[in-house]
Amino acid sequence: MIRITINHLSLQEVLRELEDNSAGALSIFMGNVRNRSKFGNVSEIYYEAYSEMAEEKMREIENEAQTKWGIKKLVAIHRIGKLKVGETSIIIGVSSEHRHEAFEACKYIINNVKTRVPIWKKEVTEESQKWTDGILLE
Amino acid sequence: MKSNVSDNDKIKVRLFAVLREVVGEREITITVPSGITVSYLNNVILMKYPQLKSFSNKFVTSVNCKVTTGDTVITSSDEIALLPPVSGG
Repeated sequence: MIRITINHLSLQEVLRELEDNSAGALSIFMGNVRNRSKFGNVSEIYYEAYSEMAEEKMREIENEAQTKWGIKKLVAIHRIGKLKVGETSIIIGVSSEHRHEAFEACKYIINNVKTRVPIWKKEVTEESQKWTDGILLE
Repeated sequence: MKSNVSDNDKIKVRLFAVLREVVGEREITITVPSGITVSYLNNVILMKYPQLKSFSNKFVTSVNCKVTTGDTVITSSDEIALLPPVSGG
């Protein structure tokens, strides 16, 4: 399941989606809003996405992970809009037969989502609002 | 003789993040001659919105959700977007 959403992310929903009796391993990555950045004390982060392209790129990354590690199920959900400190911006969940594939696929997916998917974040601190330096798409 | 109007395309261009804020619009419409390339379109956009000039090497252009090179030919039915460096996750 691949999704860009404005709604709160639910770990329980992700775990339900990953249920698979043939999978012996399940790996989860959650990204949360930190209270500090190089700009100061963060009060919230605003996320924006080109949702159609973002979901397409996330499906491309999913297919690559599937080819490399033969995973059973995958969930990748990114939240957009205003998020407060401590809230979850992204959940990646992977189920596979054994742990190695689940760990590696989860790491591959989050690393590639951060560098290849058109999503942007603006950090809001007491002093400023700044778009985070990012990576130019190729 | 064909009129100049029929040789023009109205290209809609979506803007995101810092580019959207600098221009103040989520989408702009650019009138250009038919059969132009992405490079040509970007030059027209920079002339019409000079506030984007300082970002000229800090965005890429996507056509129908694919990042393209400057020599890609576009039409008014294509979905064009200007994408600044990404920072999701």
